[in-house]
Amino acid sequence: MHTALATPFGRTAAEVSTDELRALLDLERGIIDRRVYWDEAIYRLELERIFARCWLFVAHESQVARAGDFVTTYMGEDGVVVARGTDGRINVFLNSCTHRGNKICLAEAGNRKSFTCNYHGWTFGTDGALVGLPQEQLYQVTSPGFDKRELGLKRARVESYKGLVFATFDEEAPALEAYLGDYRWYLDVLLDNDEGGTEFLEGNIKSRMRCNWKFPAENFAGDSYHAAWTHNSGAIAMLGTGVGKSNQEKSYQVNMNGHSWQFGLDMVGNAMVLGEQDIVDYLREREEKVAARLGRIRSRMVGAISSANIFPHLSFLPGQSTFRTWHPKGPGAIELHTWVLVNKSAPEALKEKYMKGVMRTFSPSGTLEMDDGDNWENATQTNDGVVTRRQKLHYGLGMDSRIEHPELKGSVHLRKYNDSNQRAFYQRWLELMCAQPSAPAVARRG
Amino acid sequence: MVIVLGETPVLAKPIPPVPVPVVPPELVSEAEQFLFREARLLDEERYQEWLGLMTEDIRYWMPGIQARYRKDKKPRLDPKRMAYFDDDLLNLRRRVTRFLSATAWAEDPPTRSCHIVSNVEVELTGRENEYRVYSTIVNCRGRNEAEEYWLAGRRTDMLRRVGDGTLRLASRQIVITESVLLAKNLNVFL
Repeated sequence: MHTALATPFGRTAAEVSTDELRALLDLERGIIDRRVYWDEAIYRLELERIFARCWLFVAHESQVARAGDFVTTYMGEDGVVVARGTDGRINVFLNSCTHRGNKICLAEAGNRKSFTCNYHGWTFGTDGALVGLPQEQLYQVTSPGFDKRELGLKRARVESYKGLVFATFDEEAPALEAYLGDYRWYLDVLLDNDEGGTEFLEGNIKSRMRCNWKFPAENFAGDSYHAAWTHNSGAIAMLGTGVGKSNQEKSYQVNMNGHSWQFGLDMVGNAMVLGEQDIVDYLREREEKVAARLGRIRSRMVGAISSANIFPHLSFLPGQSTFRTWHPKGPGAIELHTWVLVNKSAPEALKEKYMKGVMRTFSPSGTLEMDDGDNWENATQTNDGVVTRRQKLHYGLGMDSRIEHPELKGSVHLRKYNDSNQRAFYQRWLELMCAQPSAPAVARRG
Repeated sequence: MVIVLGETPVLAKPIPPVPVPVVPPELVSEAEQFLFREARLLDEERYQEWLGLMTEDIRYWMPGIQARYRKDKKPRLDPKRMAYFDDDLLNLRRRVTRFLSATAWAEDPPTRSCHIVSNVEVELTGRENEYRVYSTIVNCRGRNEAEEYWLAGRRTDMLRRVGDGTLRLASRQIVITESVLLAKNLNVFL
């Protein structure tokens, strides 16, 4: 294990070898080297090989419903604008002027016909094209070869799945449909349980945590195990009792392409934690309709105790209706963005209850979320210790839990108390981290 | 073009103050003492006594802050937008229940909190028993070994005098300065 002894300070992402990366993860035995959480060079490689390549969630279509509507967000550490053009298409482009690099949009949301840089007044359309600049005729005369058409903002590819908008900067990446694969069957539990589709409610709460982005992502991917312990106090506050013991033999972890969902079939367990009887009644009233639409088993998943993650960093809690991304800000920091998802056809009064229920449980002031941050920050920061770093982490729960299931898609594992989804998350991480930029898209499996 | 330096038509002009009804100093003092005591109850984690300062119909609202352009027609603060707090008494009691729970791990060892209340300004409302009270708040939290979080905000409260003659908090709006909360959580009332 000479790689573990090397001093990595100052090295570049390119100096991280594939052999070193493979040695960090022993997923057959469920052991992970903590270097993946603190090494700056590995983090830089993550930005290049994961965040500049994968399909990343950037917005819900409802956030940019009309022409000119925009939100700003991040793809990795790259700031981007997500804007609906006059042609109805959703565009995603870099939020950095092609002249001196200044941000061209400082607001987090709004409606604009164009984006003008504050520095020299270069103006870009809702598709990122350079549409105007002061003293343009001077450029025509004194700047040989000047061509506005070549000075548009770098655009990402954009595709949607039932309201969720994703973008990628990888021209070679397979289509979003292939990237999500069978995960769409599970996503339909939330996105297509009603013919009216879904929307995000107004707003977006953002906060910073000093943790590695993978801790919250893997937590949502498959850490049902922490819920009863970490969130005991929140459950007592919202339900009057702790997190109940769930029937492990009727609960599952499923994963595919690094995307994860872990769930029971209790139908309303998560939703109940929002503390609003009307939400539980709404879900119960709809169960038969949902069963007719999606089948019995998926109708039991709508509000069930569950959590999920689309690789790399779009996490959500079915039932609790919180959607969130963990934007990396260095190996030891993230910016968390959260939203509330509802069925568009739900009564307005119920949407308000969802909004309040989600905020009081899963926001920085939420009775459940409050206890997560301490854990993820400390799990990250203890890695400052050079001896602590060498103490590897155990990811060995549920090693032989894979089952065949007549209905459930993907790689199915029995019991939610299980590290299978987390191992699959890191397996996918390793595949992408080891795939050279020139590797054919097929070898990268989407 | 000749430019004469000094006064120009575009220079902003002062607006003279509008006379406001004088609020009795005893009332200002009473409101201040109410807010200071309330802050101390929070700092000392005397949450149930803190709940006792609320009216039955309390609305406790701390909206999320969005960075939007001035030209944006949407309101800067919108009750329909996501909020850190938008609570009635039942939900404040739920939060307090968590704070008091032995398994609220993020409060054990306790988070150390200090509320600084300032700029208290009392306005009469036209209703005999209700006063609008503006204040600013700065909160400092110490957590674990060396973590420190500062948060500042402006508050607009409605204080109501109830049957026993004491003041209660009937509503509170807290507008913080951060649009991205620079902390892992907000385990504090402001």
